[in-house]
Amino acid sequence: MEALRAWQARCYRAGYVGRAWPLEFGGGGRPPVEQIIVDQELAAAGAPEFANVVGLDVLGPSLLRFGTDEQRRRYIPAILAAADIWCQGFSEPDAGSDLASLRTHAEDRGDHFVLSGQKTWVSWGQFARWCGVLARTHAAGPKHRGISMLIVDMRSPGVELRPMTQITGHAEFCELFLDDVVVPRANLLGELGDGWKIAMHTLGHERGTAALPRQVKLRTWLDRALRVASERSLDGRRLIDDPGAQAALARALIGVEVLRHHAYRTVGEFVRGGAVGPDSSSVKLLMAEAEQRLAATVLEVLGPTLDHAEPEAVDEDDFWYETYLYSRAASVYGGTQQIQRNIIADRVLALPQE
Amino acid sequence: MDLELSDEQKWLSEAVETLLSREAEDGRLWARLVEFGVLSVGGDERLGAVELCLIARALGAHLAPVPYIGSAAVRFAAPHLAEALGEDAVALAVLEPGASWGAAPACTLAHTITGRKVAVEHAQSVARLAVVAAAEHGPVLAVIDATAVSSVAQPAFDPTAPMYAVELDGAAVVAGPFGGGAIRRMTTIGTLLAAAEAVGAAGRMLDDARRYAAERRQFGRTIGSFQALRHLLADMYVRQASSWSSVLYAAAAVDEDADEAPRTVSIAKAYVSRSAREVAHGAMQVFGGIAVTAEHPAHRFLRRIVVRERQFGDAAHHERELGRALAEAAELEPVS
Repeated sequence: MEALRAWQARCYRAGYVGRAWPLEFGGGGRPPVEQIIVDQELAAAGAPEFANVVGLDVLGPSLLRFGTDEQRRRYIPAILAAADIWCQGFSEPDAGSDLASLRTHAEDRGDHFVLSGQKTWVSWGQFARWCGVLARTHAAGPKHRGISMLIVDMRSPGVELRPMTQITGHAEFCELFLDDVVVPRANLLGELGDGWKIAMHTLGHERGTAALPRQVKLRTWLDRALRVASERSLDGRRLIDDPGAQAALARALIGVEVLRHHAYRTVGEFVRGGAVGPDSSSVKLLMAEAEQRLAATVLEVLGPTLDHAEPEAVDEDDFWYETYLYSRAASVYGGTQQIQRNIIADRVLALPQE
Repeated sequence: MDLELSDEQKWLSEAVETLLSREAEDGRLWARLVEFGVLSVGGDERLGAVELCLIARALGAHLAPVPYIGSAAVRFAAPHLAEALGEDAVALAVLEPGASWGAAPACTLAHTITGRKVAVEHAQSVARLAVVAAAEHGPVLAVIDATAVSSVAQPAFDPTAPMYAVELDGAAVVAGPFGGGAIRRMTTIGTLLAAAEAVGAAGRMLDDARRYAAERRQFGRTIGSFQALRHLLADMYVRQASSWSSVLYAAAAVDEDADEAPRTVSIAKAYVSRSAREVAHGAMQVFGGIAVTAEHPAHRFLRRIVVRERQFGDAAHHERELGRALAEAAELEPVS
């Protein structure tokens, strides 16, 4: 983690982090397209992800859009330099896709809130200094109206974390337990009851802009797969010379390329300074599809050679196994495929509600 | 690459759309399209690949029974031809019996052209044919008079795009021959226009299915409120929107003469071939039994989509080509 922090800090000093964020809060003040270009180049070079990915992609943009100047001055520079890592406390054990039914509760005590509840899928929670927590501040009325966004200091008494081991063997996520945590009123983001609006803006932003660096990453994986398939043989024939493998890899390539073409067309709006529209959902659907197809295809192409690994030479196989396992998350995180389809049905196709 | 349409491109798209909506069922449709300028191909002030795709998409959406792909592709392939052809409609004579798209031609050019071609669309209603034939130094593209051949109608899967088997027995060349570069350009743009038409036809089916789902009631509810159909339609939308993105991207690459242009055209054709049919099948499922009746328009759009899917190579054809290219590129990488 310290290495990842140092990497982000170094990139920030070089002008590669927050390039399009406002100058006055430590950003680069450049057009959004430049950050997209930088992110694609970093992905192409196989650079590690930034330590503060949640701060940069999720909560930073929310602070910029909905925060007060004081909040922006306080938090944004530290997000950019990876001095303070951020995490998000949105999902709960009983509020996943139905996020608006969340039960974490913040009692309004005037100059502070008292926060209690349980959050899950808290990426990088174990390293975080701050957490953006969605909590219910009004019990009555429509359920998504009574939600507010609080900035929680992870060092507060009553905050407890439990890392969760994923199917890949890593522990990127935590469960977060909040027990009568005192949150100063100054840490309310936006107005009371704005939490849902902020979360939706944030998630749309994440969906809309993550695809371009992601497709570059997928392309580097495809190139790596081609290299491995030309190095390994089965029954005296190189894997890459099998026409079936070639066609399967071509279909994986098509998935990645169409994602790129579609993201270029739909992100155009965002780049020209507009908001990310509901078409970010179609990008998200294609992104998960491309990643899952690619990962599954590579296991298929490598086939029995995965069972031929020498005891000491499993690194390459491990990479593909892990890539495959993690790809199953792509159709779940950031709003499941089913939620994206609902968004398209409602907001693009204007179909009648269920 | 900027995929935002310019104001002129938006205007073109709307103008063609308007013309097609007004001229439906009118025998003068082709003349009106030509008069409008859909054949002003190539050159600085003229239509590029993006514009041609916008036109083809509109033609697909209206199932226009016109010889557009051939007429536009041959002008795009060899810009000098545009003058020689005037306003003549042209059919492409590329595919040969027993051979696949892209195979070396068995038709020969030795002063005149001799051989046999199939799937020559609109052969009996055009003035000229553009024929791919083997000449002394490799394959060439040459223009002949349509009256110089005998043609027989093939079974018509899509009656609005009639196909003919054509016998060439010493047909005289009236323009050309042009070398391999012209064949490549003709193939590139023809492939893309076939894909663009399919996107247009599929887009129309999606719109109609969406509208139907928002009106039709069963079980006391509008069927578009059932999640099974909402998700089906959402998936159709994603296929449709991304299909258009891939065509537009490839067209922009062709206009910029980018290195990746041929590859992106193959990608677009492979993707659209599968996606347009998926959209059509989805739409027919939304319509239900009525779409299986001859009077319902669904099957007419489906037929056009299937015909365009095979033209210039179907998904499997392009996937094989792309796969082979991937393998060759992997060869060039230093083995680590």
